[in-house]
Amino acid sequence: MVRLNYDVIVVGGGPAGMAAAITCARAGLDTILLERGRFAGAKNLFGGVVYTASVLSLVPDLFSASRLPFERPVTEEGWWILSQDGVVKITHTNATLRESPPRAFTAFRAKFDAWLAKQAQKAGVLVVPKVRVIDLLIKDNFVCGVQTDRTASWDDHRPAQVKAPVVILAEGVNRILSIKAGLVPRDFSPKEVALSVKEVLQLPKGELESRFGLQKDTGLAVELLGEASLGLPGTGFLYTNTSCLSLGVGLFLIDYATHNIKPYALLEHLKRHPVLAPLLAEAETLEYGAHLIPEWGFFGLAKLCGNGVLAVGDAVGLVNPLFREGTNLAIYSGILAGKAAIYAHKKGNFGYHTLRLYEEALKDSYIYQDLRYFRKLKTFLQQNKSFFQTYPYLLNEVLHLYLTAQGRAKQEVFKEICQLIRKQRGVTGLLGDFVRAMKFLKGW
Amino acid sequence: MNILVSIKQVPDTTNIRINPETGTLVREGVPSIVNPYDVHALALASLLKRLYGAHITVITMGPPQAEEALKEAVEFGADRVILLSDRKFAGADTLATSYTLAEAIKYLAQEAPFDLFLFGKQAIDGDTAQVGPGVARRLGVPLITYAVKLEIIDQEKKEVIVHRKTASGVEVLKVTLPVLITCDKEIADPPFSPLPELIKAAQTKPEIFNAQRPIPYKREKLGLKGSPTRVHRVYTPQLKSAGDILFVSEIGVSEAVEKIIAVLKDRGIL
Repeated sequence: MVRLNYDVIVVGGGPAGMAAAITCARAGLDTILLERGRFAGAKNLFGGVVYTASVLSLVPDLFSASRLPFERPVTEEGWWILSQDGVVKITHTNATLRESPPRAFTAFRAKFDAWLAKQAQKAGVLVVPKVRVIDLLIKDNFVCGVQTDRTASWDDHRPAQVKAPVVILAEGVNRILSIKAGLVPRDFSPKEVALSVKEVLQLPKGELESRFGLQKDTGLAVELLGEASLGLPGTGFLYTNTSCLSLGVGLFLIDYATHNIKPYALLEHLKRHPVLAPLLAEAETLEYGAHLIPEWGFFGLAKLCGNGVLAVGDAVGLVNPLFREGTNLAIYSGILAGKAAIYAHKKGNFGYHTLRLYEEALKDSYIYQDLRYFRKLKTFLQQNKSFFQTYPYLLNEVLHLYLTAQGRAKQEVFKEICQLIRKQRGVTGLLGDFVRAMKFLKGW
Repeated sequence: MNILVSIKQVPDTTNIRINPETGTLVREGVPSIVNPYDVHALALASLLKRLYGAHITVITMGPPQAEEALKEAVEFGADRVILLSDRKFAGADTLATSYTLAEAIKYLAQEAPFDLFLFGKQAIDGDTAQVGPGVARRLGVPLITYAVKLEIIDQEKKEVIVHRKTASGVEVLKVTLPVLITCDKEIADPPFSPLPELIKAAQTKPEIFNAQRPIPYKREKLGLKGSPTRVHRVYTPQLKSAGDILFVSEIGVSEAVEKIIAVLKDRGIL
């Protein structure tokens, strides 16, 4: 007979869920992880950078494996600031970034998450894919299990239930269960999430290396600003994988609606950009995907736990778009939630006041500090449009004037540059933006 | 009823590409699935088990990761799953494959003879449709290919009626078990398995048969060695572009003839 009672149920097989499940199983808890996809990673998508430290915190013997679940090390990073037909590139590399082990890798979720699932199985987690959790079982105000979309048996067509004193919700951005658990008061609004679209593009053999100046063990990860997001708050990205590249772009959901932009058209526009087009010549699209990114931040932060329930990763909005953090925060939060579940089992008490250990640990960590520090980021970006709408283009024009000043009186050129800045943004605008940016960075 | 289902893990051909330089299939990163026709064979076994009670044994030959295909079989209600996996099995054509499978089936049948052998009508990666028939011949059981329907008419006498799709229509055959059937998609729909079966599948570790144990296979009949077939080349056929359609009623006979002659000359046929 198959058992349907466990110590811990984890809902969702992404990095957050896997981290929580692995932590619990390693402490000897009988842990089941339910994933709705055909396999862990089948339904997941991200731009493509994983930070090594976070993976090591979960799998310390990562580098003893013969095949790493990654694509390329990230050895050069920065921004390409696009105008309509030009670019200003600011990227950085140095010896430290090229050291081994690399501090970051590009990766595919279908491989990375599947690899995490293998680690989870090794740790003793029962990973069950193809199961969608449709509801929580709540008794006396305690979450005590889940209800699935699968039937109880071939003859009993009622929804199957799985029970455990702790349920960890790693359901991702669509936080249906977190709402049911009372951790989140409402669904997100279009202002609080970004929609990113991404293509994986295969270049002819050897072209990736030659076009991007790469060696076998180097890789490029750049954010694309300005024209990439049509001057709207948002960014594009270009990451190099082993033999292909990931190109994507994201905007706040609201901006697609307000400006009537189709996500695929936005990406097509980026692919046709005069700077990018030659880099992508003869590329074959291997994959096309889209994903919502929870950017509600500090003010939209859920209650992280309740009686018998904890929420981790995207479900609670643990992302930092500015620093491309998400997967690592998912892993850290998963580990912390797992520890709280272990603590609760030791105490034999699964109430909010025990599980709060997770909330407290998270509040002590840099994750929470960052969430607090960047709490106004979304509003800042949405209110200070010039950072996307004006400056990328202005920067391109200014640099162009400066760099093509030969054969002219330089004073005249500088005058033209000043005029241009004055015309585009004005001295007060410029100063205002500066003050607002400083205020924002000082966390006011 | 004692049912044996033989399945194959195949690359999802909706994703498959051919390396233009080497002419071989690019399997890197291509997800593997259970051959779709085999899924329907499993579905039939599952249905029969639920209707009449049955013991289902599922075998597959493949690399260690073919374990995933067997896990899927457990979701359908398979009671015993066996993976034939050994480097010596690798590179087998349909001859070597049917030898390897048939020997394994004979070995398993020593415990309890099988009443029904179910195969998919063909695998979507090779499309040969030869392994099922090859195994039937080796086992000495009757073969029915391209089955679309199976009805049990007498459990005691072990009589079944099988509908078989042919180019000219449907053949309805009455047969006494044991019989080997290769299944088309219409034979049964895959069920939406209940949770306990999924949990069972997640916990499954298939039995592994290698080239020595428990069956001492004849080395020269296995894998590449036992396969007279050699793949000369794999290539993507050129897409034929749609031809020009000209109506004689519009352009007249003589101009039509002129055009045809011009095209034929252009291609060097005339």
